This record gives sequence, C-alpha cells and structure tokens, in this order.
Amino acid sequence: MAAPKSRRPVIAGLGMTEMGAIYGRNAASFAREAIRLAVADAGLQLGDVDGLLTSNGTSGGVGLGLQRELGLRDLRLLSEMQGYGSTAGSMVQFASMAVQSGMAEVVVCVFADAPLRPGRSAGDVYGARRRNANPVAPDRPAEPPKPTLHGWSGLTISAGAIGANTLYALAARRHMNRFGTTSEDFGAIAVAQRAWAAMNPAAAKRDPITLEDHKSSRVIADPFRLLDCCLVSNGGVAVVVTTEARAADLCQPPVHVNGWAQCHPGRLFEHDEEFGLVTGAALSGPQALSMACVKLDDVDVAQIYDCYTYTVLVSLEDYGFCAKGEGGAFVSTGGQIGPGGRLKLNTGGGQLSSFYMWGFTPLTEAIIQVRGQGGERQVERHDVALVSGNGGILDHHATLVLGTGPA
Amino acid sequence: MSIPAVARDEASEEFFDGTAAGVYLIRRCEPHGHASKPQALQCSVCASEDLRWEPSSGEARLVSWAVLPPPASSVVAVAELKEGPWMWAALLCDDPAVLQEGMALRVAFERPPGSEAIPVLVPAGA
Repeated sequence: MAAPKSRRPVIAGLGMTEMGAIYGRNAASFAREAIRLAVADAGLQLGDVDGLLTSNGTSGGVGLGLQRELGLRDLRLLSEMQGYGSTAGSMVQFASMAVQSGMAEVVVCVFADAPLRPGRSAGDVYGARRRNANPVAPDRPAEPPKPTLHGWSGLTISAGAIGANTLYALAARRHMNRFGTTSEDFGAIAVAQRAWAAMNPAAAKRDPITLEDHKSSRVIADPFRLLDCCLVSNGGVAVVVTTEARAADLCQPPVHVNGWAQCHPGRLFEHDEEFGLVTGAALSGPQALSMACVKLDDVDVAQIYDCYTYTVLVSLEDYGFCAKGEGGAFVSTGGQIGPGGRLKLNTGGGQLSSFYMWGFTPLTEAIIQVRGQGGERQVERHDVALVSGNGGILDHHATLVLGTGPA
Repeated sequence: MSIPAVARDEASEEFFDGTAAGVYLIRRCEPHGHASKPQALQCSVCASEDLRWEPSSGEARLVSWAVLPPPASSVVAVAELKEGPWMWAALLCDDPAVLQEGMALRVAFERPPGSEAIPVLVPAGA
C-alpha cells in the first residue's frame, strides 16, 4: 500500500554534540544533548516527539531510559536497535515506515558513545582481547595458569588478538590477493578523505596527509596501517524523522528518505565463501536505488561507511561505482575522489578523519549535503545522496537514498 | 609468540578430546555426509541437526592472513580445510613474506601450560 503523499518520510532535524576526546560525560549525556539539538534544529519541542529509537555504542547507557530522562510521555514507538554500523540506516528505515504508516509522527533516532577515557588508547576500545590475556611469569613456571579463555570463543581468541582490526585486515588481504588491490590504493582513500576533512569544522583530523604519510604510518594489523583505520570518538548524534506534511512548517530544508534496503549475508565461512570480496552493499544498494527510482549515475554525493579505507573500496565496487575487483584502480585514478573529483565521496572526511559515530557519521554528512549546508565543502549538485552503513565484520549492511525532493 | 591457555566447556568437549589426540575434528551430517565446522549447530548445507564428529585430514589451504606487529609479532590466518570448512588459527611461520593465497598448510597443535591442545597452522612442508 503506497503511503499518502503527505506522509512521505523526511529527515527534518539533525543534532550533533561536540565530538572527539571530550571527557567527563557519559554516553547518555551526549544522547540527551543530541536529541535536544535535533529537536530544536527542526523547530520542534521535546513534547512533539512521539517515537524514540536508541543505539548504543560500546560504552552503553543509551537505551529505553532516555524516555524518562527526557520526560517523553505516551510514546507511540520506543525501541533499542542493534546492527552495529548498519544501525543508523536501519533506524531511519524503521522510523520512516513508522511515520509513513501513521504509527508515529515525530521519531527521533539517537546514537551516542563515550568509549574514550584519558589514558586509554583508541585501539583498546574496539580491540581485541590481548593474546597474552594469561601471561605466565617466567620465574614461576611451576604453577600453570588457570585459563581465562573458554570454549569456541576462547579458541578464536587464541588465534591471536581477534578484534575488528585483525578481522578486517583478513578481509582486506583477501581482496588484495584476489584482485591485486594495494596498500597504496587504500592510501588514496585516506588522503582524499583528509582533504575533505580539511574543510569540515567538525572534523578531528584536518591536517593534509600524503600517500607517503600513509605508507609510513605504523602497522596496526598488516595490511592495515594507522591511516587505514577510523577514529574513535566520544559524542552523540540524533536525527528527527517526520512526514513531509509536518516538515513543511518546520525550520530546515526537508531531506526526503526515498529509498532503503538492508542485507545481512550470514556468511558460513566455508568453501567458496565471499568474505572480504563482496559485501551486503551488492544487494542492498540496487534495491534502495530502485525504491528511490534513481540510478547510480543519478547519485550526486556518496557517503560510504569507512571503518577502514578498505571498507570504502569494496563497498564502491558493490554499489557499482566500478566493476568488482577494480576498486583499487578506481580510487587511485587521479581526479576520481577527493575535493574536485568526479565522485563526491565522504565529503566530511568520514570516520577516518572527522569523527566516529558508527553509521551516523555518513548519515550526518549526507543530511548536511542534501540540505546544502556544507559550507566550504558543499557539493554543487546535491539532489540525491547515497548512504551506506556497514556493521560487524561485513556482516550487516543498510543503504539509504536521500534526496532534496520525493522519489 | 605464545598461545594463551584455553579451557574446554560443554560445547567444545569432544573437539578438545580430539585436539588432545592430535586430531582436528569437524562435523558431518548423517543424512548426506556434508562437512561443517566443529562449532556448527546444524549442517551448513542441509540444516540437519543430526551431526557426527569426524577427524579432518588436517590439510588446509591459506585463505587470508594478517600480520600483527610487535609485541604480538604473530600471524593470524584463515584457512580452508580440505573438507571445506574454514578455520581461524595462529599461523606459525618465520617469514610472513613467503605467504601466498592457496598455499598448502597443515594443522598442528600447541600445548600451552594448563591449556587444552590448541590447533595452529604451519606450512605443509614444515
């Protein structure tokens, strides 16, 4: 059943807290501020909110309790959602369906996290339980240690620091082996995104970098170097999803949610598995574009999830910006990506250089660009934006197609 | 490099009985004989829950690997067993530069103090 035109879903508010190494606040505090900012940005009051979807990062505390903390009464939609990096896209999809159906009118989607603490490295946050989880003191060999690792998960960890860095490195290496993708290709993405970040006042890393800087940055998990890996940030982001009719009286240019899809490959990790070679973008991309009645050529600006440089490269292939296996050549071709390039890609600097709010990083920049509020980095044509969210170890994918007008 | 100690639990009991005997066990479904990973709860092909344990050949091919810098200084690998399932394990090799996709490996076992025997991968010729 098609929704009446007036109930078409739009994003009408965006709230972003300060982000980065901001200490002394917990995630819920960032979440409340982000929600207040988003509601105010839309020109609404907290009392107008009748739906709330929450997403935790690693530090917890962003959940159903936010309703009472913010005094939101008689909500018609309330849920915590989890699809890791795909959550932001999934939340906007759920919120869009809720307003389209009439189930709710003003739905806020919020993510906040505060994993950084003074003296704790970013790597420790997502990393891995260390392989020396159970060190043996060399001078006391007589008493064997009690294992702290158990069963199947212990077996996996015993393979060596199994965390996001290592698992994505395994995925990236497979792509390199199969298609000849190089570390320099990954570097081209890091360099291009940093150049965009230089024009983003909200970006944490704004100093330009070169391919040489990428090459000489320290090894995290070979093939990944430091400049292949996203930042880790404290902060919060919220968006307000409502109907086209409601948004007509509000403050911001409406950002229409025209297409959406998800794909969760459910890999079995056995013979012929496509791990590292293909992502959920391959199925969710075409489906979302088709729903939005646009073709890939119509996409003016692409915000592609970039937990690692490699993730961008493989996603570009899967969306069809280039053929499978040609991502390396594509991003390394002069004039292709980066400011002034043919493809307007990760124009805020992305998770690599601006801030890491999981899927809200690409979503946020897409909203800013579609509204035309990108300032120095605003792209000229911004009618159609593609947003990708990638979660787990390439396990979850959500795609959104946003636009200045309806599909 | 050192392999950390791992204790068995109920689900991994038979598997670690296998590693103690120097065998990497996998699962086979009774209806068709499809191979699945030792962790599998059902057959990865036909979804049968009727699975038996079976020794694998211990022969594998390298699928991918990541090289961790010091202090770990180790190689984490994914390999495909001859029977089809993939496994994640430390790959013991002196020079990661020689590693290639598809190279022949075999499963070996390390016995850290106080631990079950832990499968690792080594080059087939080693």
